[in-house]
Amino acid sequence: MSEVIETLQFVYAPQVVNGLAIGVAVILMALGLTIIFGLLDVINMAHGEFYALGAYLGITLVAKGASFWLCLALVPVVMAAIGYLGERSLIQRVFHSKDRHILTLLLTFGLAIIAEDAFKLVYGPNPYKPESPIPGASELLGITLPNYRLFLIVAGAAIIVAVWLAVYRTSLGAMVRAAAFDSQMASSLGVPVEKVYAGTFAFGVALAGLSGVLLAPIYSVFPTMGKDFILLAFSVVIVGGMGSIKGAVIAGLVLTQVQSISSLYISPVWSDPLVFGIMVLFLMVRPQGLAGRLGHG
Amino acid sequence: MAELAVLRTAVEAGERTVIGGQHLLAGSFVALALVFAAIAGATGDTFFFRLATEALIFAGLALSVDLLLGYTGLLSLGQALFFGFGAYVSGLVLKHVAPSFWAAVGITLAATLVVGLVAGIIAIRARGVYFALITFGLAQVAFKVVFNSRGIGGSDGIIGIPQIKVEFGLFAVDAQSPAGFFLVTLAFMMLLYGTCAYLMHTPFGRMLMAIRTNESRVPFLGFSPWRAKLAAFVIAAVVAALSGSLYPMLRGLVSPELLAFQTSGNAVIMVVIGGVGTLVGALYGSVVLTVLKSVIGTFTEHHLIIIGGLFMLSVIFFPKGLAGYARPRLERWLARRTERA
Amino acid sequence: MQMLKVCAAVAALFLAGPVQAQPSPIKIGVVTPLTGTYAGIGQQVKWGIELAVKEINDKGGILGRKVETLYEDEEANPNVAVQKAEKLFQVSKVDFLTGTVNSGSTLAVGQVAERNQRLAATTVSYSDAITGAQCSPNMFRVNAKAGMQSEALAEWLVKEKPGATVYFLGPDYEMGRSTVAAFKEATTKRGLKTAGETYAPLDNKDYSPFFGQIRAAKPQVFYTSVAGNDTVRLFSQMAEYGLTKGMIVVGAAGTITGQNLAAVGKAAEGFVTGVGYTTEIDTPENRKFVADFKAMWKTDPDLFGVDSYGVVYFYKTAAEKAGDTDTDKVRAAMRGLEWQTPQGKKTMRAGDHQAILDMYAVKIEGGKFKIAGKVSGAAAVGPDTCTKF
Repeated sequence: MSEVIETLQFVYAPQVVNGLAIGVAVILMALGLTIIFGLLDVINMAHGEFYALGAYLGITLVAKGASFWLCLALVPVVMAAIGYLGERSLIQRVFHSKDRHILTLLLTFGLAIIAEDAFKLVYGPNPYKPESPIPGASELLGITLPNYRLFLIVAGAAIIVAVWLAVYRTSLGAMVRAAAFDSQMASSLGVPVEKVYAGTFAFGVALAGLSGVLLAPIYSVFPTMGKDFILLAFSVVIVGGMGSIKGAVIAGLVLTQVQSISSLYISPVWSDPLVFGIMVLFLMVRPQGLAGRLGHG
Repeated sequence: MAELAVLRTAVEAGERTVIGGQHLLAGSFVALALVFAAIAGATGDTFFFRLATEALIFAGLALSVDLLLGYTGLLSLGQALFFGFGAYVSGLVLKHVAPSFWAAVGITLAATLVVGLVAGIIAIRARGVYFALITFGLAQVAFKVVFNSRGIGGSDGIIGIPQIKVEFGLFAVDAQSPAGFFLVTLAFMMLLYGTCAYLMHTPFGRMLMAIRTNESRVPFLGFSPWRAKLAAFVIAAVVAALSGSLYPMLRGLVSPELLAFQTSGNAVIMVVIGGVGTLVGALYGSVVLTVLKSVIGTFTEHHLIIIGGLFMLSVIFFPKGLAGYARPRLERWLARRTERA
Repeated sequence: MQMLKVCAAVAALFLAGPVQAQPSPIKIGVVTPLTGTYAGIGQQVKWGIELAVKEINDKGGILGRKVETLYEDEEANPNVAVQKAEKLFQVSKVDFLTGTVNSGSTLAVGQVAERNQRLAATTVSYSDAITGAQCSPNMFRVNAKAGMQSEALAEWLVKEKPGATVYFLGPDYEMGRSTVAAFKEATTKRGLKTAGETYAPLDNKDYSPFFGQIRAAKPQVFYTSVAGNDTVRLFSQMAEYGLTKGMIVVGAAGTITGQNLAAVGKAAEGFVTGVGYTTEIDTPENRKFVADFKAMWKTDPDLFGVDSYGVVYFYKTAAEKAGDTDTDKVRAAMRGLEWQTPQGKKTMRAGDHQAILDMYAVKIEGGKFKIAGKVSGAAAVGPDTCTKF
């Protein structure tokens, strides 16, 4: 009996808690993707690069003497402005064409290619590792946990709740949902649909930038970092249901736990195919994902 | 039935003008290729011959992307999966079974029919962007598997694939002869192109276009869009794999990067630059991208910024691509000439 | 009429040009990753070569001819590498080619060199196969191979902690697995024990899922062969979890280099590796080299920089010995060649084209690679297993 408890405590519990921290990171990435898709029908292939841009802005500000906490507040604002301009100057240009799904995907794909090279041009190819703002580790029930990861779990959960409240409990959020449900109807009711589109894109981009700052002390910063989360984040968005916040949270937690626990038994190289296999199964059995999309309940 | 007839006449009316322009563009592609071959042959060049051959091989990959995107409305972000598969099958056959062009191409064809069918059954359940993401994921997984499989060289790939002769019964072409293999590849690709262009003008092709225009209407006409899409997917897989099968004959090696997202992404860029839904645009797009990469890469290490920028500009300002831009102009010119005559 | 005279004068000027010019330069082609994951290594390769070429040209070049370098980005992709290598060989007519980083590209470029009857060398790839099972008469390696690195490190480890238990963590791809296998062999042979082994995917985000297994195995020594950005993550996350306390952390030469040392930061302290170079080698040649390199590029050279610097002198010495740039003559001169580098004298073994150089066990102390042990090149290099020539 005591052996079972020991295995649970020393083998499974750390895996679960570590998986939780990774899960929060992935959900932060997936939230922006899924909100942008839910409202604009845009697959943002450059989402990972916006995440990287947030991290680079963070280290630039820190190098100029700003504190980590100031960056956490400042970077999302800058990123939102970049996102707003990006939507108005790029996405809007092809938004009204028949093939907007594909055209916007291609456009953001092109943007991702440029961004990665631009990071290298400005910051060089070598990695940066910001100092952890909360160093040290705590022991909880015999499990060692870095303080920063505990902070990440709490802060991430707070951000997720805040996003949910903003979308479902504010009048701004109601406008967004109305525009997602039926943009023409919303427009005739006086919702400034164009601004809502740009604003939502900006919001998604700001979330990506925020994740960049938040995750940099754990995952470090380098030009190709945008590719890191993108396949997993896409899987989470698909399994959760495109445009669903609730779905992204559930799928994010479940998939990262599957990866984390399975890595005890199978070679971790197979954990990506495993997650991908789950995604394929979902597409075959339940193509709409776990939960319905934004504005549709 | 009446509805189908209407659809048919509408499509045919559209096509009658289309055919002229597309054939002219394909004809000038071959003519330009032959002029290039004449100049390169006269100057005793080898590099540009082999670079052009590579451009043609990747043009086949782009062709298969356009087959799906331009005619069925399915954007594949993982077409390199089949291109790389063809290259590996061909490379393994050449190295371990028989150093024969026909054996390599034949076995690639047979193997791709099976693999394409399986992947197709998985992938075409998804529509629109879901299809893009699922093909992206399938190719990523395949890339990782190849990258990790020691038996087929793992991350190092396979080198030492023998240099072969392409036997044509009466005569043979040495695949190491730059001009000879260029001409063989040109003929091979034009055959693939011709087959695709022909297929798109059969009832099957019209059905694909009907699916692209409005998939939910197609079942009302008494056809199964599922079967047509699956067929299109398998054909595209075969085109990509057959193109890939020529790669090891040219370079004497294969490596996992042939299956990587970079390769799929480049094919999409080629199609968009060349013109979606034109088939012939894929050929031009491949040549343009290969030349750009080769030239810009020499001057700056930041070639991705330039290529990405050009790509975005062409998505915004020339969504129809080179061929889409040139075709109506050529057709008007043709029409004026016919009027005069 | 006046016009004609001007034309004639201009034409004469142009025609006269080449006659007065110096003999045609010797061209060295460099196919190296300038974009993608290995861009940082490509940068060191470029810097090392540029410095050597500048020095050589200032002293009159090779065989009285200036040296010219041509760079091409191979994107760490063998398919791009072969295309660029053909361009340099066939269009630019380079006399010598170097710069490839990942072993797939090196093997591919070796084959291109063979088919174009030219010579190439790698300064970075450490896969044993390049001068072993897949050796090529046209490919040389001036840097240490994986087996030599393992020997130097294992030799140090067995003195430091005889009979210790070792835990291995490698990147899960063919190359990563073979480096772990090589080091495992080198340690078991010396009586060290294996506590466990794990492989993490390349470009892994988070290593914390592996920490449970490592902690449970209670190893005294932790070996890893991850590289680049992966190292930054592995080491900082291990430090985050306090995993390295009381453990000796060792690894492959590419695990911590000049590129990622700053980013790994304090977590790198105490790390030991087997390597063919450190800036701390205390010889006049090396001191001068480090000073010149720093003056030119504002940063320290690392093992990739020094080996790439050395490859230019390798070619120079061979070409001057041959008195010509003809492939067969230069190859004959390269076989068994001894030449000077900042690392000391290197010898190119004729049988497999592997350079023999002294190996060091180096330990990171205060952000510097300090020498902790040394193994002579002859002892580290191992038997010649190349059977192709």
